[in-house]
Amino acid sequence: MITRRAFLGALGTATLAETVLPVMARAASPPRRVAIVTTVWTYQSHAQHMGDRFLVGYPRHGRWHQPPLQVVSLYVDQRPDGDLSRQRAAEHGFTVYPTIAEALRCGGNTLAVDAVVIIGEHGNYPHNHKGQILYPRYEFFEECVSVFEQDGRSVPVFNDKHLSYSGEKARKMVADSKRLKFPFLAGSSLPVTWRLPPVEIPYGAKLKEALMVGVGGSDPMDFHALEAMQCMVERRRGGETGIKSVQLIEGDAVWRAGENGGWSKRLLEAALSRSDSLQGDSDLDSRPQDLANNGQLPKLVKNPSAYRIERNDGLRTTLLMLNGALGDFCFAAQLANGAVVSTQFFLPPTPNVTYSACLVAQIEEMILTGRAPYPVERTQITSAMLDRCLDSKVEGHRRIETPELNIRYRAPRGSRFGG
Amino acid sequence: MMYCSRRSFLAGTTATLALGPSAWAAERRRPRIAALTTIYHKYSHSQHIVDRFLDGYGWEGRHHRPAMDVVSLYVEQVGDNDLSRERAQRHPQLKIYPTIAEALTQGGSDLAVDGVLLIGEHGKYPVNEKGQTLYPRYEYFQQIMEVYRRTGRTAPVFNDKHLSWNWDYAKRMVETARELRFGFMAGSSLPVTWRQPSVDLPFGASVDEVLGVWGGGIDGGDIHVIEAMQSIVERRRGGETGVRAVEAFRGERFWKAMEAGSWKAGGWDPRLLEAALSRSNQLNSPRATYSNVFPRTEDLRRLAPDSYAYRFEYADGLKASIVQFKGNVVGDCNVAARIKGGDIFSVLFYLPYYTMRNFFSPQVHHIESLFLTGKSPYPIERTLLTTGMTAAGIESLFQNQRRLETPHLAIRYQPTRQSTFWRT
Repeated sequence: MITRRAFLGALGTATLAETVLPVMARAASPPRRVAIVTTVWTYQSHAQHMGDRFLVGYPRHGRWHQPPLQVVSLYVDQRPDGDLSRQRAAEHGFTVYPTIAEALRCGGNTLAVDAVVIIGEHGNYPHNHKGQILYPRYEFFEECVSVFEQDGRSVPVFNDKHLSYSGEKARKMVADSKRLKFPFLAGSSLPVTWRLPPVEIPYGAKLKEALMVGVGGSDPMDFHALEAMQCMVERRRGGETGIKSVQLIEGDAVWRAGENGGWSKRLLEAALSRSDSLQGDSDLDSRPQDLANNGQLPKLVKNPSAYRIERNDGLRTTLLMLNGALGDFCFAAQLANGAVVSTQFFLPPTPNVTYSACLVAQIEEMILTGRAPYPVERTQITSAMLDRCLDSKVEGHRRIETPELNIRYRAPRGSRFGG
Repeated sequence: MMYCSRRSFLAGTTATLALGPSAWAAERRRPRIAALTTIYHKYSHSQHIVDRFLDGYGWEGRHHRPAMDVVSLYVEQVGDNDLSRERAQRHPQLKIYPTIAEALTQGGSDLAVDGVLLIGEHGKYPVNEKGQTLYPRYEYFQQIMEVYRRTGRTAPVFNDKHLSWNWDYAKRMVETARELRFGFMAGSSLPVTWRQPSVDLPFGASVDEVLGVWGGGIDGGDIHVIEAMQSIVERRRGGETGVRAVEAFRGERFWKAMEAGSWKAGGWDPRLLEAALSRSNQLNSPRATYSNVFPRTEDLRRLAPDSYAYRFEYADGLKASIVQFKGNVVGDCNVAARIKGGDIFSVLFYLPYYTMRNFFSPQVHHIESLFLTGKSPYPIERTLLTTGMTAAGIESLFQNQRRLETPHLAIRYQPTRQSTFWRT
């Protein structure tokens, strides 16, 4: 069904009228000044493929869109071989500062930017015993907060991916943003990338169960998968009510849980039916296969894991990480009326990775409007549930009650995915 | 009956009874399908299409199994990488026959199938002086017709991609299907695959100019872009009126057209090119260390020096450019159309190119509908026209890019109002 909104999405000029015109009106005034705070700026790092979009524009609604923003300063924590930060600074006329405070003040005495984009992904950082990479996002954020406090002024902040590997640090970050009343947007690009097909959970629908299938390592890729699932289930009746318990199981226990109704095989079939990259026989000779039901899954996936997340309103949600079975991220949920909604969160290929254009568009909107287009609580709860799942993993896969994840919020009704 | 669920069987029966009796419905059995193909190997079109009938495919949240059986297979070229033998072994209802006639009659004297897949793509076939691969689709079709005429029975036919490299052949194929009154469907998978965004041209919109881009490929690549573009513009006000002239551009003439700045000045509207390239997920970056940059004309020249284009003039005045960046500019097919008043509609035709080529799934879904209802879900005239446009464009290239009048392409038709691309 083609809605007027969807059609307008295909029209460059109609979209101009709807969303970009306010931006263009502002373009008459000086562009908003942006500081980028990042771990590393090398080819195909998040800082490169997101940061570059502020510098050279990006595809949006059938136009090559140049945001009315000016990157004026950069802090980069590490400069390994292949560092591009100096070259970008020279070419695009911004300054690399040795500290975050100096970047935010552009070398002066007071906050001198209109927004901060924190990209703490990639670079050489230690892992902890839970397998988490200790990216210093919390530390970067707190340095920004410290400048805001000292200078008596706050500006919008975007934080790429999870707020922190630590649920407690994530909580503090959100609390600081509320205390100082600045717009705070965060998260993965999966919630805002294209979907195949382009579906949402009907707003306010009662959900019976949800299942996400993902691939890749922990904790970079399971975060993406969990937040993709979160952006779907948060639309359910009553909104997000918080997490009651989590449990991460691995190996044969995952298959046994499926046999015992611990997660829905019907939903696995729906999710896998959305995959374009099934492995095994499909890789061998490109034949499609009913991987959820043909018995091949345990042969293909040597080390499955299931992230079992029980919500305060009773909803069961499960992330299955199935390395070896597929190469994409797919979701399925059953509504109370029995209908099954399923989709693939489409990750366009390298090097363009245009999913990050979808995310940069949200960042741009927050900077220009002063409002985060979706609640940071989505990312907070996802960060925290992942952190606790990994506790379960290292504590003998036990079920953990999580009263501290009593994070309640309402999702916006409008959809934000696709370009 | 190995995959027959009661539900899918009844769905098929009802659909056909509503449209008139057919042998399989009267006999209360599943339709039997013959597949005729040039070659059957991994990533060949026959593998993608026939495998979906044999093994099912993901569809609307299920692993869907078509309610019909491929019972006979003809494969002209069997090489070391052949998969047809493995498929026949794994699917006992499927038998391989040495001739097309035997495949259609299952070795008997009467037509013994209820639908025919004609997949003449891939395999070793001669290439003519114009660059067209002489796939024997017309020859296969003629052999099918011999059986139809001899037995006095017909069955719906699906022809993969364009009808033929040769316009006269294509015309004869459509005329014969009309004469013998069987359902005839054809074409590329691009018109029916996912789109980004997931939209169609509003039915009856007035379109002034349209442009399609991709990465080149005389004939085999051209038909895909031309048909993707056609599936958009056929919905314009008044429906399809046909094409009256074509002009090809290559070499310096191409770059002159690129820089002309408008159709009137001998090129195309650069805003349409910007719109089309801004839908791409595979835009080659012209600058080292940058991963997604919009190319300047000098970048295009450097990255795709052998690019070419076709400019088509439609009978109702619509102007269409197919810009083929031969080289490394854009890896996906995108179309942009300027609607009267200046709005620009643009869309990517997304082809998932992973282990499975799932853009064949919506095409197979429509072929199933052809076999169950006896009617093509979209008009064969679309592919007749795009076959003729492709051949005419190549002819203009061959004749030193001379503008050619195309009175034979005065093909009028009305598209289906309902969109047929993949969106569920």
